[in-house]
Amino acid sequence: MSDTNAPASGGLTTACTNRPRFVTGVMIVATIVLGLLAGIPSLWPEKTHEVAPWLNTLRVDTDPENMLAADEPVRAFHHDAKKRFGLHDIVVLGVVNDTNPDGVFNTETLGDVYALTQYAKTLKGEAIGEKDDPEAGVVRVDLIAPSTVDFIENAGIGTVRFDWLMPSPPKTQEEALAVRDRARRIPFLNGTLISDRTDDALCLYIPLTRKDLAHQVSVRLQKKIDELKGAGGAAAENKYYITGLPVAEDTFGVEMFKQMAISAPLAMLVIFILMWIFFKKITLIIPPMIVAMVTSIMTMALLVISGKTVHIMSSMIPIFIMPIAVLDAIHIISDFFDRYGETRDRRKTVIAVMHELYSPMLFTSLTTTAGFASLALTPIPPVQVFGIFVAIGVMLAWVLTVTFIPAAIMFIPESRLASLASETAHEDEANSPLGRWLPRVGRFTYAKAGLIAVLAVVVMGVSGYGISKIRINDNPTKWFEPAHPIRVADRVLNKHFGGTYMAYLELEAPPVGIDVTSYAQGVATRLANKLDEWKDTEHAQDAVDATTHELTTLAEHAKTPWGLLADTQAYVQNKLDTCPDAEYDAWSEVSDALGVERSAFEVFKQPEVLRWMRDMQDQIETITDDKGAPIVGKSNSLADIVMTVHRDLLGGEQSEYRVPDSPAAVAQCLIQYQSSHRYTDLDHFVLRDSSKPEVDYRKSSLWFQLTSGDNKDMELVTEALESYVKSTPPPDGLTHHWFGLTYINVIWQDKMVSGMLQAFLGSFLVVLFMMIILFRSALWGILSMIPLTLTVGLIYGIIGLVGKDYDMPVAVLSSLSLGLSVDYAIHFLARSRNMRAKYGTWKESVGPVFGEPARAITRNAIVVGMGFLPLLAAPLVPYQTVGFFIAAILLTAGISTLILLPALMRFLEPLLFAETAGKVFTCRCGTCVVTSATLLALIAVNAHQFLTGRATIVTWISLGLIPVFAVACFVASRRKACRVPTVQGEPA
Amino acid sequence: MNMGRSIAALSISLLTTFAFAGDLTVDQIVEKSNHVSYYAGNDGRARVEMVITDEQGRTRNRRFTILRWDEPAADGSQVDGDQDFYVYFDQPADVSKMVFMVHKHLGADDDRWLYMPSLDLVKRIAASDKRTSFVGSDFFYEDVSGRRLEDDTHELVETTDNYYVVKNTPTDPSLVEFASYTMWIHKDTFLPIKVEYVNREGEKYREYAAEGVEQIQGHWTVTKSSMKNLDTGSTTVMSYSDVKYDIGLDGDIFTERYLRKPPRNFLR
Repeated sequence: MSDTNAPASGGLTTACTNRPRFVTGVMIVATIVLGLLAGIPSLWPEKTHEVAPWLNTLRVDTDPENMLAADEPVRAFHHDAKKRFGLHDIVVLGVVNDTNPDGVFNTETLGDVYALTQYAKTLKGEAIGEKDDPEAGVVRVDLIAPSTVDFIENAGIGTVRFDWLMPSPPKTQEEALAVRDRARRIPFLNGTLISDRTDDALCLYIPLTRKDLAHQVSVRLQKKIDELKGAGGAAAENKYYITGLPVAEDTFGVEMFKQMAISAPLAMLVIFILMWIFFKKITLIIPPMIVAMVTSIMTMALLVISGKTVHIMSSMIPIFIMPIAVLDAIHIISDFFDRYGETRDRRKTVIAVMHELYSPMLFTSLTTTAGFASLALTPIPPVQVFGIFVAIGVMLAWVLTVTFIPAAIMFIPESRLASLASETAHEDEANSPLGRWLPRVGRFTYAKAGLIAVLAVVVMGVSGYGISKIRINDNPTKWFEPAHPIRVADRVLNKHFGGTYMAYLELEAPPVGIDVTSYAQGVATRLANKLDEWKDTEHAQDAVDATTHELTTLAEHAKTPWGLLADTQAYVQNKLDTCPDAEYDAWSEVSDALGVERSAFEVFKQPEVLRWMRDMQDQIETITDDKGAPIVGKSNSLADIVMTVHRDLLGGEQSEYRVPDSPAAVAQCLIQYQSSHRYTDLDHFVLRDSSKPEVDYRKSSLWFQLTSGDNKDMELVTEALESYVKSTPPPDGLTHHWFGLTYINVIWQDKMVSGMLQAFLGSFLVVLFMMIILFRSALWGILSMIPLTLTVGLIYGIIGLVGKDYDMPVAVLSSLSLGLSVDYAIHFLARSRNMRAKYGTWKESVGPVFGEPARAITRNAIVVGMGFLPLLAAPLVPYQTVGFFIAAILLTAGISTLILLPALMRFLEPLLFAETAGKVFTCRCGTCVVTSATLLALIAVNAHQFLTGRATIVTWISLGLIPVFAVACFVASRRKACRVPTVQGEPA
Repeated sequence: MNMGRSIAALSISLLTTFAFAGDLTVDQIVEKSNHVSYYAGNDGRARVEMVITDEQGRTRNRRFTILRWDEPAADGSQVDGDQDFYVYFDQPADVSKMVFMVHKHLGADDDRWLYMPSLDLVKRIAASDKRTSFVGSDFFYEDVSGRRLEDDTHELVETTDNYYVVKNTPTDPSLVEFASYTMWIHKDTFLPIKVEYVNREGEKYREYAAEGVEQIQGHWTVTKSSMKNLDTGSTTVMSYSDVKYDIGLDGDIFTERYLRKPPRNFLR
């Protein structure tokens, strides 16, 4: 044991054991202060805001959109486009009746639907608890329900009829069926408002001003539904399903708190029980439990104080911190009782224990911290926050462990300690099932080292194959369990309808490239060419000449082609208004010709553009998923609107369901469409602004209804569009951009995949670097990384082989587990090196290594692994996935450490325990090279972030952390205790 | 905005004809108001510039000419009875020459026709609901052609210095989207200067204002009016020019034949 070590651990431990009350007091005060700073603003937000506006309240964020930074271009575009086309987030209310022969089209059901619609209209402002904003809530004008939409039909010869689809509840069965028949004929409604497959279902679409109002709205709708069903009779047959992404998100928030309220305490309980099984001493289990609890509270308080939101990721912070926090304490307690019998002096024992464990604990904490901090490298803000705060929590746990645990031991009277110590003799430990079984494992690893090595290679191969099979896919709806009402609604409604997942496509005409002078010449030429056609019109030549002259004069000062055209049109209009009757026809023709020039800028009135759109929609609607089911059940566009109006204006025959042949005819169909109750609906499909010809009718939005929210299906849709655009280029060089949440999910998934790979690489390199520094050997460093590499490879291989989707939780797993699972290797290798020094050969060392050290590792693996299992009780699938796979990774890493490492050590013995100077030199040279390479790669991985993407503050922090770790490792590893780790008081 | 100015202008004229006010019943008030709003002269024409501005400040323009002809009673006298309207569009250019025609009947459903030149199509529009948008604007067809007095019950809720405040409640609420509307009828001109519509939830959702009033050929005439839809945030302003009364229109013009062949002498 070295004296140089004393100031670091000895001094601190002495101080803590001298003043246990003070240490405990500081801890309690710090916890209370942090708790209050976080709690007060959340409990009394208004008062706090007056006194201390810099304090943050607890903010919950359930919006998957926030997986992307707010200034992310895709997200910014999504918001702009939503605003541009007046699109809102929608609560979907499905009504199904499969007992009535006419399905939902009976007077009772439609009567209830009418009542529900009327009720939904009232859900805004104070009615939903939004006193400050009377407009907050349901966007009445955009509500889609039988009583709020129009239909158009041919009403006898030469007559067309526009009216509400269901102006009042139908009184007779004929009226009810008429609602169905009319909606069936309107492509916009068929498959959206009513099912296009059966008569059993219809859907109300309830748009909201803000999506966080979805919960308020859906709770009230459900109450109204219960009321209607309670009335009995036929109404009781109706089944109602409330869904839609905003509802899912809000429900998600509620479930998230359930997770925190159930899983975190459950984890606490599981850890408590496991520790009790291992140590059977309640008195000793309590201090580690206090460390776990205090760390969780402090970290969550810091999260709230920092103003970061509680997101799906950050809500898991307590459950991650608790098992990690008790780990170091387990070592201390275990070691304390090994030594206490010798001295019967609690202070001396504690100081000795802390002295010995100080650096291994610091190192395991640092590697764990590094693993989590590496998540700051991902481009996904919630994942960054999670990584940073777990890293903070781990270091906090370390600080508490080295200060509070020694202090806590001082509170236990010597007499009590003596009786506890005598209860557990070494022999008992060695005779425990674990104590009997582990040495056998040790002997096996020595005897069958070759077999183990071969098996490891085979596992690697299979894993590699499995990883190549990985399917990247996520779907926020599937974050709920299959039996959850939202999943049920999702299944039922997507069976009856064209799809409830909306993806939007914006088509945009590129800027007009022509300059004013050539444009003026072009218009003049086209006017002159018309003269032939106008030869019977009096004064046509004069009007054209005058217009051309005006055009040329105006062109000198005009800034844009459409500006020039507008000025010329004003001139002609003035002529029309004032000219003698004899000239009127000529000016009228010129005016019309200029009108055609104007509409040439209005790309989305061009028949060929609308036809291209519809053909493209047809093509997209044919694509199917991997099971052969259509992905896009339905799509709506400006083309569909024009075709529907055209059909009914021309007598209602299906043959007239087409885009008319001139832009003016399109415009006249659209004027009719607007002459309805819902005259602003057109704004959802095309951008109109006559004061800005550069955008007027030059942007259009198309709605695609997907039957699944799977990212892989959305990706198939985007790919189908790309290939269609390639094979059939759109007229006028239209460009396209997707938006809508279904598309945004694909984007953050892509970022997740590449970001997580980068984070994993980053943390792998950091940990490797730290291992090399710790063991002062590249070989030892690499060896320590082998078990976890094999484990992560195996787990991801299995995910690929069984066809589990590589989704958000699976993506974050690798980085999460890395920093934790390397701990076993650190302990195993450090202890092994120590034993080897003691016993001379590896063969002789295997037995002792598989004594107490292996037992400690096994216990740790079980405590941490099992500690995550309570996540399986969480109501949301991502938590369950994380819980299951983290537990699997940690247990597998424990097993592979205990089996693979000793087998490899048998083969590498001469290299690992080199005794000649030459070998040591070679070893150090290689160490030097590997170290520099690791460091370089580490810098490269981090710098990559800045070269390709934008640097975020968290990324800077992570970059700053790396040298800190390096220095910390270096300082720690320089100590002799690390160079030749000798563990005192080990059983022989 | 312009409200203040119009009120000021009206206040001056008020001095000259103050003698009327006071003794009228609510029915007399609404009848007079209906008369000055829709029945000035025996016929009339006006050019209308319409600007629709949405919540985001984006605009759409329309320009059309309205011809109006009051059908004389059986004995040839002029009463506030059936009327014909002929609306001829010039702008936007792609709807130029489009015509919308209405035969307004007090005792029966209106007849409505539409002529779409680019489809060369004359279509009758089945009379169902007159409370749909007039060519995409915030005005309804009924705002352009007038609402039958007997469709509402009228109640004089207040008489201020300048206005009769009349609340109108529909006799058959199922036919309309409003629960009631309140008109501020100017005491002097009898023009409604402001109209507010309240929906079934009891909220004001629609607002009309006469923003410019002029006396033309002795008739008080709204020359600028606006309609705001508070639900969508959209506002439509109609500006009238070249307003003329008693131009000698003849009933023949308001027939299907003239849809394809506009009566230019009256439209110019």
